Amino acid sequence: MRRSRAEIALSIGVLGLGAGAAWVTARLPGEGGYAGIGPNFIPAVVSGGLLLMGAWLLWEALAGGWRNLAAPEADAEHPFNAAAFGWVSAGLFAHMALIGWAGFVLAGAALFAGVARGFGSPRPARDAALGFALSLAVFLFFVKLLNVNLPAGWLQPLLGGAGI
Amino acid sequence: METFNALLHGFSVALTPMNLMWGFIGVTVGTAVGVLPGVGPALTVAMLLPLTVKLDPTGALIMFAGIYYGAMFGGSTTTILLNTPGESASIATALEGNRMAKRGRAGPALATAAIGSFVAGSIATVLLTLLAPLVVELALKFGPAEYFALMVFAFTTVAAVLGSSTARGLASLFLGLLFGLVGIDGQTGAARFAFGVPELLDGIDVVVLAVGLFAVGEALYMAAYTSRLPGTLEKLSGSLMMSRDDWKRSWPAWLRATCIGFPFGTIPAGGAEIPTFLSYSVERKLSKHPEEFGHGAIEGVAGPEAANNASATGVLVPLLTLGIPTSATAAILLSAFQNYGIQPGPLLFQSQADLVWGLIASLYVGNVLLLVLNLPLVGIWVKVLAIPRPMLYGGILVFATLGAYSLHQSWVDLATLYVFGLLGFAMRRFDIPVAPAVIGLILGPLAETQFRRALSISQGDATVFLTQPISASFLAVTAALVIVPWLVRRYGRR
Repeated sequence: MRRSRAEIALSIGVLGLGAGAAWVTARLPGEGGYAGIGPNFIPAVVSGGLLLMGAWLLWEALAGGWRNLAAPEADAEHPFNAAAFGWVSAGLFAHMALIGWAGFVLAGAALFAGVARGFGSPRPARDAALGFALSLAVFLFFVKLLNVNLPAGWLQPLLGGAGI
Repeated sequence: METFNALLHGFSVALTPMNLMWGFIGVTVGTAVGVLPGVGPALTVAMLLPLTVKLDPTGALIMFAGIYYGAMFGGSTTTILLNTPGESASIATALEGNRMAKRGRAGPALATAAIGSFVAGSIATVLLTLLAPLVVELALKFGPAEYFALMVFAFTTVAAVLGSSTARGLASLFLGLLFGLVGIDGQTGAARFAFGVPELLDGIDVVVLAVGLFAVGEALYMAAYTSRLPGTLEKLSGSLMMSRDDWKRSWPAWLRATCIGFPFGTIPAGGAEIPTFLSYSVERKLSKHPEEFGHGAIEGVAGPEAANNASATGVLVPLLTLGIPTSATAAILLSAFQNYGIQPGPLLFQSQADLVWGLIASLYVGNVLLLVLNLPLVGIWVKVLAIPRPMLYGGILVFATLGAYSLHQSWVDLATLYVFGLLGFAMRRFDIPVAPAVIGLILGPLAETQFRRALSISQGDATVFLTQPISASFLAVTAALVIVPWLVRRYGRR
């Protein structure tokens, strides 16, 4: 019998989310006015739905695996590439950390380089340069032309403020 | 006649130079972004949504309509030349389209897709024009109970009836509904599921959810599972011209597909996936050359592509007249309206006639622009396809994060984006449908409002949903949709 640890974990995740939502719901106000139901009614329905679906999925996972999966063989053919996943994630985290103080352009360059590395590009310096050029173009277009507010960060002296 | 005058007035709005320009920008950007492999119409609209907040509503919505159409045109180019459908509705096109390209017939395949999309899109827009006022007429009689029942119907079909698994579909829907509850309750002002985080008090923005699920999740998935696979781009050799025989085989397929696609779009049936496959199998049955199917039969491209566009237009009927989105892309379009404080529905046709009819007229214009833009310029779009994948995904994520960050200028939105990315990765990997979550997030709060309103009017009497005839019939149809297939599965197999 096929039994996937990931499916069991995800099912328990849905159950846990439902339980957490129920815990929060129990602390919401319930007075209803004319309708007779308060702001806690629909949250209770949704929590119940999540608990029910979590239980259903868990039962499926334990009794032969989730039904009608589209591509359960993906694992065997292409094993999970943890390094690639890690590089893409690292790019996103670097972007998150940098954007506030180093600015949009430098954060974008780091993001671009990380993602490109994750997709197997062997030349990080070139990728960072490409990312820098792309982010700079995006920055100038949105900040100068469309007046969208984006942080210039360390490049403030070079880029100036909004507007041409 | 009244409709005709309204439409004529719509054209006077759509054809002003400014709005024509927004429409042109929309179809161009939509095509350019939609061509990118892995970027479907839903993601295209979501990424561009936060960047247009400063435009006037009519111009912006005309642009979004252009993006919506353009992304679908662009997607068919990718599907035919690269065999990587950007969305489930393109899978049927990929079956024959990519094989035609492999046999050196990429030109006619692209031509029949583009002209078919134009024909189907235009006919469907005429149907939309005629049908919308009738639905509005009916919808004006709807009260909160009817709306709530209709939304339950939409939730059920999208999550439970369609798709490979009821359990996974409903889990995705409840997840979306939970995300929709985050923030301040519109009726009492109580904060729900916000945990004191100021960014969460505003609620979860559909842009963050959609971009996280579609862009970040997709990038993580592609990097982790397929990054070392070389993609093969078919060459665009030979002429774009369709032979006399190609025309003869294409046009009946276009017309049949329009008849299949449009009705499927108007009912909450989860978008264009079913009609495209239906059209494919109809063409296969009716074809005089059934032996060519599987080796690049032109009807197999003409039909599904036309069905896809016709149903995309059909989706606009419930969206504009009832305010009910029936696909992930429509849910994001609805939030584009909400950004401007506009709630689509029957009243919109009266209070904002300029906007609605201008938008509908711009669909006619957009179809013509797309035909002009796609056929002669297809060579440019093919160059976009040649971008190596590391650069492509790097660029996509730069734009994706830009959209999320510009909402509050806060890294919290970027962290939320990553969490949704992980979720999207897991959903993609374990075949959990994404559309119910997106629709749940947008439609959930609206459904809750209607539910509580209905109960307020009835003084808390919950039988109101069953004693009103329209509401009761919606709920009865919903129950039948769930129970009948189950009974058939259980007792029909003797």
